[in-house]
Formats: sequence, C-alpha cells, structure tokens
Amino acid sequence: MPVQFAAKRLGKELSKIQNGLPPGIELVSADNLEEWLLDIKVLDNNPLYLNETYRLKFRFSQSYPIEPPEVVFVKQTDRPIPIHPHIYSNGIICLDLLGQQGWSPVQSVESVCMSLQSMLTGNTKDERPPGDEEFVRGNKQRPKDIEFYYHDNTV
Amino acid sequence: MSGQSSLALKEEGNRHFQRGDYVAAEALYTKAILADPINPLLYTNRAMARLKMSRWDSVIEDCEECLRLSSLAPSTTTTTSSSTSSSGGCPYMAGKKPRAPGSKNFKALYYLSQAHLPLKNYDQAVDYALQAHKICAETHDKSLAAVTSQVLKCKKARWEHREKLRRREEQELEGEVVELLRKEMEEALKTSSSAASNDDEEEEERKETEKMYREKIDRIIAVFDQVREKDQRRRPNPPDWAIDGISFQVMVDPVMTKTGKSYERASIEEHLRRSETDPLTRTPLTIKDLVPNIDLKNACEEFLNENGWAADW
Repeated sequence: MPVQFAAKRLGKELSKIQNGLPPGIELVSADNLEEWLLDIKVLDNNPLYLNETYRLKFRFSQSYPIEPPEVVFVKQTDRPIPIHPHIYSNGIICLDLLGQQGWSPVQSVESVCMSLQSMLTGNTKDERPPGDEEFVRGNKQRPKDIEFYYHDNTV
Repeated sequence: MSGQSSLALKEEGNRHFQRGDYVAAEALYTKAILADPINPLLYTNRAMARLKMSRWDSVIEDCEECLRLSSLAPSTTTTTSSSTSSSGGCPYMAGKKPRAPGSKNFKALYYLSQAHLPLKNYDQAVDYALQAHKICAETHDKSLAAVTSQVLKCKKARWEHREKLRRREEQELEGEVVELLRKEMEEALKTSSSAASNDDEEEEERKETEKMYREKIDRIIAVFDQVREKDQRRRPNPPDWAIDGISFQVMVDPVMTKTGKSYERASIEEHLRRSETDPLTRTPLTIKDLVPNIDLKNACEEFLNENGWAADW
C-alpha cells in the first residue's frame, strides 16, 4: 500500500490556488499532478529584477509533500533566469528549503513561491554562484540529487 | 494435500497478483487455503484478490473467516473468544477482540471496510475502517495513511447517503403537507358554497378562503426552499483548526508535537520516518514524542458529522 499523499494534497493546493494567490505569483498551468508552471515577479523596486517575470517549474513525486518538489526556473524568450548568487544560469536553485534536509511537509507550492520571491527581493548581488559555468556545462544530475553546500546563509 | 505446499501456492499467487492477474491469484490462494485451511493470513490474501475482482460478498466471507481463525489462534495472549461469526449476520464484534501487537489483522478489517462501502453498508464500512485505523496507529504501521483515507472516504459516503435520505424525506413531507392543505381548501370551498345564499357573497367568501389557503401553501414551500438553499450554501472550506498541515485533510487522529501544533498521525509519522524533525521548527522530534490530542479529535469528529462533505473536499 504505497502512500498516496500527493494526488489529494495537490488537488487541495490547486483549489486553494484557484481561489487566489499572493501578489506577484500566478499559476500558468497545472494540467496534471506531476508538473506545474508558475510565474513570479519581484514586487519592490529592486533594479536587478525590475519589470521582469520569471517562470518556475514544479515537479512532484508520488510522495510529495513528504518529499520536496523539484523546483527550477525555466528560460523562455520573455522569461529569463533571475540573476542571484544561489541560482545557476540553467535555472537550478540552491535553496536549503528545497533540499532533502531543509524541506518540511508543511511547505507548499505557494510558500515556496513566496520564499523564492523574498530570496530575490533581498538580493543585491548581480552575480551567479561560483563555478556557474562549469556546473552548467557539466551537470547531468537532477536538482534533487545534487549535494549543494549551503555555504552562505546570508543571501 | 497433494503437490505444492500452501506456502508455495500462496507465493505463486502473490506473483500473479503483482502482475495484475487477479483471477489466477485468487485460484492459487484458494488452493493454498485448501492445503492449509486454518491459516488466517491466506484468507486476507484471497480477499485482496477478490477486492480487485469486485466480489464484495466473498471478500467479506474471507475476512470474517480470517478474523475468526485469528481469534482462535493459541499463540497469542489468552483471550477467550466468545461469539464466532454465525453465517449471514454481521459479526463485527469479531474485530473488537484484543489481538497481539503486530498482528496483520488490520488488513481483514481494512478489506471489510472496502467491501462494505460499495455494498452501501455505510455504518459497517466506517466502523471497520476505524478498527483498522486503531490497530495501525498502535503498531505504527505504514498503511496508516491509506487506512486514514479510507476512514474519511467512508465517512463522506455515509454522510452523503444520509443527506440524500434526509432530502428525500423532506421533499416527501413537503408534498404531503401541501397536499393536505389543498384537500382542506377544497373541503372549505365546498362547504362555503352550500352555506351561502347570495351569489356575490358566495363568490367573495370563496375567494377569501382560497386566498388564505394559497398563502399558507406558498409559505410552506418557502420554508422548505430555505432549507434547500441552506444545503447548497454550506460548503465553505473547512476551518483551519480541523485541517492537517501535511495532507490538507480533516484530521481523523490528531497528534500534537512538542510545539503544540497538531498533525494527522499518519502524516506526521510518514514525515518522521524520513526526517526526525519538527516540521515547523526543525528541532529533533521522534514518533515517541507525539501525544494524542483528544479534544481536537472529538472536535474534528463532530465537525465531520455535521459537514461530511469536508471529509474529501
């Protein structure tokens, strides 16, 4: 008897989301219970992110929310990858909240979006993580399999 | 007892079951039972296959036989089993007998609930699901989440069934009351026509009487309309205090962490198996630290009795 949290929990999250999301967060698509797309905007006047919209891709496993979702920024012509010392240029995000250790099942799609929003809002550094180029060139792993070293908790 | 042992037959049955060939699995479990008719676990295996085949009545027979046999089992604590299931009846006392921890009998109860639900035996479905839940909670079984969902599913089905009955009864009552008033009106109109002498006066009186009755009938219908409207309206999201922050379902068995926050037992145990931390504070937390929140449990139960739709919103 496998644990089937995901379907019900996501169904409920979706019905909540359809009743409204916080400002700057929009649902793009949630056609199934495996992959959702959302757009986020930074709401203050941070010049790094002014007038831009960023697209997030959530992928859920069967054991969501016990296991974290896989969350990445995806690039499109009108959707760049936000510049941030914890966001690689291929869209992979280094955030402990999304890691195996930092994740908590009380988090949700909405709360993850809000965390990413505030992670951008609070950033002043116009830079990529150290070693971005090599990482992006060499990485074949899924985000959840990467052992990030959360070296800097101030960002 | 010729050929294969019951264990070998069962294992072959399991292989077929896993492949999705439930008919072959069921036949093999039957052979296994013939080879060893007093092993209760073989009956739950066959019940599992029969569930997949939607053979509800024979699921129930197998599960009841399993419960009967395991209550007779000498290996466990000496519980003198009194009533065994007489055929045809509904002996769900069988499930209430104490049994050894780690016993797999929650499966028989769980399957019984699953079989009674499509048969529309809602009370039994809820009751067996709760009994299965109790055993799973005591043994920290990994099936607790599935059994918890079953409890909610049964409660919702029972509530919907009761609501349907109630609505039908109210509709009938409305029809009866309106019909009675109509008859009374007709009677009154008849008598007034014979009593009055003057034609104009008679007409006047008839109109008065008719108007009075029409108003009464309208008011009765309006009252029933109000009830119907209320039925439609009471579908807000369930209150936050009743909702588990992990599964987002109404809680069946809330347990409290050291921080004072309550979660559904199945959800938090599932989380703790992966990471022994409090979901809110990330401080160390183990299954042993969880404390039942009885008042909240009762409140959730009461809420669900009134708002069964919320069991699976």
